[in-house]
Amino acid sequence: MSIPVGHYQYDRIDRDFLQARIAEFEGQVNRRLDGTLSEDEFKPLRLMNGLYLQLHAYMLRVAIPYGILDSRQLRKLGEIARRYDRDYGHFTTRQNIQFNWIRLEDTPAILRELAEVDMHAIQTSGNCIRNVTADEYAGAAADELVDPRVHAEILRQWSTLHPEFTFLPRKFKIAISGSPNDRVAARFHDIGILARPGEAGAPVFRIFVGGGLGRTPVIGEELFDSVREEHLLATLEAILRVYNAHGRRDNIYKARIKILVQAIGVEAYREAVEAELAQMDLERYRLTPEAVAAIRARFAVPLLEAPADADAVLAQQRRDDPLFDRWVRSNTHVHRDPGHIIATISLKPGGGIPGDATSAQIARLADLADAYSFGEIRITHLQNVVLGHVRKDRLRDLWLGLAEVGLAEANIGLIGDIVACPGLDYCALANARSIPIAQKLGARFADTALQAEIGALRINISGCINACGHHHAGHIGLLGVDKRGEEFFQLTVGGRAENGAAIGTILGAALPEDETVDAIARLVDCYLGRRESGETFLDTLTRLGHEPFREAAYETV
Amino acid sequence: MKRPVRLEPGQKLVLTANRLLDGRTVWWGADGTWDSHIGRAAILDADEAEVALLRATEQAQRDGVVGVYDTAVQDVVPPEPVTVREKIRAHGPTVHPEFAVETEQ
Amino acid sequence: MRLFELGERSAQVHDVLVTLAELAERDDARAVLLESADDPALLKPYLNRLDLVVLRFPVFRDGRGFTQARELREYLRFSGEIRAEGHILPDQAAFLRRCGVDSVVLPKDGNGDPALWEKQLRQFPVAYQRSVLPERSVGPGLRVEEAS
Repeated sequence: MSIPVGHYQYDRIDRDFLQARIAEFEGQVNRRLDGTLSEDEFKPLRLMNGLYLQLHAYMLRVAIPYGILDSRQLRKLGEIARRYDRDYGHFTTRQNIQFNWIRLEDTPAILRELAEVDMHAIQTSGNCIRNVTADEYAGAAADELVDPRVHAEILRQWSTLHPEFTFLPRKFKIAISGSPNDRVAARFHDIGILARPGEAGAPVFRIFVGGGLGRTPVIGEELFDSVREEHLLATLEAILRVYNAHGRRDNIYKARIKILVQAIGVEAYREAVEAELAQMDLERYRLTPEAVAAIRARFAVPLLEAPADADAVLAQQRRDDPLFDRWVRSNTHVHRDPGHIIATISLKPGGGIPGDATSAQIARLADLADAYSFGEIRITHLQNVVLGHVRKDRLRDLWLGLAEVGLAEANIGLIGDIVACPGLDYCALANARSIPIAQKLGARFADTALQAEIGALRINISGCINACGHHHAGHIGLLGVDKRGEEFFQLTVGGRAENGAAIGTILGAALPEDETVDAIARLVDCYLGRRESGETFLDTLTRLGHEPFREAAYETV
Repeated sequence: MKRPVRLEPGQKLVLTANRLLDGRTVWWGADGTWDSHIGRAAILDADEAEVALLRATEQAQRDGVVGVYDTAVQDVVPPEPVTVREKIRAHGPTVHPEFAVETEQ
Repeated sequence: MRLFELGERSAQVHDVLVTLAELAERDDARAVLLESADDPALLKPYLNRLDLVVLRFPVFRDGRGFTQARELREYLRFSGEIRAEGHILPDQAAFLRRCGVDSVVLPKDGNGDPALWEKQLRQFPVAYQRSVLPERSVGPGLRVEEAS
């Protein structure tokens, strides 16, 4: 078959490796069943292969490296949902997909099916280097300086079963982007990498370290401004080596690299990394131009051809159909090619479960990707789906096709585009349910005209302090807490993950679940009532400060 | 090592775990077997629960269950867990009524 | 104590095994035990007389031993035997070997079955990153296999 657009094409060596990993995991399952491995020993081993034990069943998190997959892979995910789960999957904030009703005994068979389409669950959990995330518009956006996917793939390979860094103090997340507009929350990662063009065609990398959300939200600090491509892997090895040796292992809440960076300071961390680099055999770790070129050659480049009037056709269709126009306004992004456009498909229907897709929807998305975007699909860290290369004159046909399966919601970046973790409905760590509150908010603001009127406003919901819903980074954030067995929500405002990353400020005491939606509606009303022309929610918040919003939230009717 | 159990009036304890093979939530019955319906759980007072917990934990590997612990329930028929978390474990995710444990075969 | 050799080097038994703190006072010691928090760089003055460094894993999840082994091989150019003991799993065999560990003290439970260790050493035909072992490329890109 032809090389897929958008992600690395496996060869026999990569496929043999996957089969070996499945055989290894199957052996681990058998040793667990016969009692050779205790649960305490098995748990970290199954997590490294994406398998959790949640409230009702096992959950399998399948890796979607840098968030990109092809239609054949997506179809396979739909089949797995149908055959081994309950006919749906959940796309996560790390661009992966997870299935909630998995049986341990089925897992090796599922992994074999995934391997048929070059997919796996390697390092989607565990205290190791997790699946690498990248810009969801990579290789398509007009504002991009460097396509980060080749280096994201290099990082995926380098981090796969790394002999030294598979038993780290805690999980380790890396994101990479090549755009000046940060769409990967680079400064909320253990390592965030921003690529830009360097001399002689090779990129250079700005590296942030020690960012993260969770119990202690921290904005990452710049470790190096310009790491050359040939030293990228050496530099990452050195950063990880310092962390593996010195990260805390006595307290899991203080084990992330951010705590170590905070404890010793970024200057001391940089010195420690430089001391490692001074001792390392750099030639051994050198990322050669040949290796980069070999991996780049495994990515197909889409042939972007559009009729000269594509743009005019789209403009006319927008004038003719206000509903379509509204969707185009919220759900598309400028492509580097003037005849093409990037379409974001919302998985946030009003009142629905953020990030969930049925197997029928998944199959339809695969068909639409084949028809409109070179068979390529991207999953966003905001739990939506992107078709990266849609011809402008065919966008309306795509939109009509999406509407047939309930996927034409016009709310990307708006208040209905809620990010939520699975919460206490599924998750063994959660303190409160995230989905029901997301559904209530989604229903409250379901009117797309109202959403457009409110404008850019991001709500993030986490069901516990681990912050998988990234509540610290939401313009409005909700954190579920447990008070004597009852669900409460703590509100934060002013967080953002984009350029100018900020951690939200807690407004006040947590509210009972049944008062939370009204309180958020009052926050929104406060903004609508006091905004000046052209202001977003964040703009008004910045101008007025938190006090009016605090008063609105806690106003008792 | 064991935390002191503080039960409100009208509350008792049940033992719960997840099945090793499929991960499903199970409850410990008076005959020592594990069942996915909380209605078949043995209702225990604090002393009984302590003994049962020790035994069930020892036998977890043989019984094919993982992570045995006790949790408080209202002593009604069928017993109803006290916390939101255990209610959800007993009955299924609140966002998918079609997956309610009670209506499974 | 049952030893398992991860590579070609034969494991040697030493009567005297001292801690890092004791090393300075024991001129006769040829073998030292490093706890996972110990800094291997402190062994520098003694490397010439050391035949064996034992890395103790308090629990298999504590991966500091991997970095210690690598520092010994890569930075300190230690050419003697490196051994892992404590709570280790056969699933870690290839990782240990690739970081420079020569032998392990087999666990006393089911994880000590030499067949499991043997199997795990041969589980993966290639790796995606360089280790301390001599390696050669397999196909284009980052992939390597051990050069025998």
